[in-house]
Amino acid sequence: MKSERRIVLSIAWVVVGAVLIGLGLAEVIDAFWTGMGSGLLVVGILQIIRFNRYYKSEEYREKVDTEIGDERNAFIRSKAWAWTGYLLVLILAVSSVALRVVGQEVLSTAASFVVCLILILYWGSYLILNKKY
Amino acid sequence: MKNRIEAIRKEKGIRQEEFAKAMAVSRQTISSLENGRYNPSIMLAYKIAKYFDMTIEDVFIFDEEDVYC
Repeated sequence: MKSERRIVLSIAWVVVGAVLIGLGLAEVIDAFWTGMGSGLLVVGILQIIRFNRYYKSEEYREKVDTEIGDERNAFIRSKAWAWTGYLLVLILAVSSVALRVVGQEVLSTAASFVVCLILILYWGSYLILNKKY
Repeated sequence: MKNRIEAIRKEKGIRQEEFAKAMAVSRQTISSLENGRYNPSIMLAYKIAKYFDMTIEDVFIFDEEDVYC
């Protein structure tokens, strides 16, 4: 765990979240940013609680370290992301056709663009990884 | 790839939890390895063989058919 950097990041989430909520309450910014601030605040607090537990409980630290270092877990995580990406492309491709059929041309075009973007990102990643390994 | 991990582990009287801790992996990983559902990296295979004081060939059974799966 690159703990120090992550703790600083978690504290930063809490601070940014609190600032956004404060600005929202003062009606300087709208509800979208206040909502985002609340999200950041909750994520930051949860992360800090996790770090605290990580440092205080040896049993929990061992469990977390094993989970992070476990190669099967890393393999599953990577596979799950691959499936997610593949399914996302399929869903967007089908949606772009379906949206065109029901006359939602703007949304259909947006879905097609996202499919193109994902495919470009895939090929870019493939080329980089192909050079790296 | 087939392996003899479970047989060797039981022969040596080592519990799955104990073995998992020594390999720095989860107990589920050991279970998946023993059932042949997951093939380990060369590093983990080496670590397992070394733990049992054996060679990789003693623990893992190479089958030509596995190559084409």
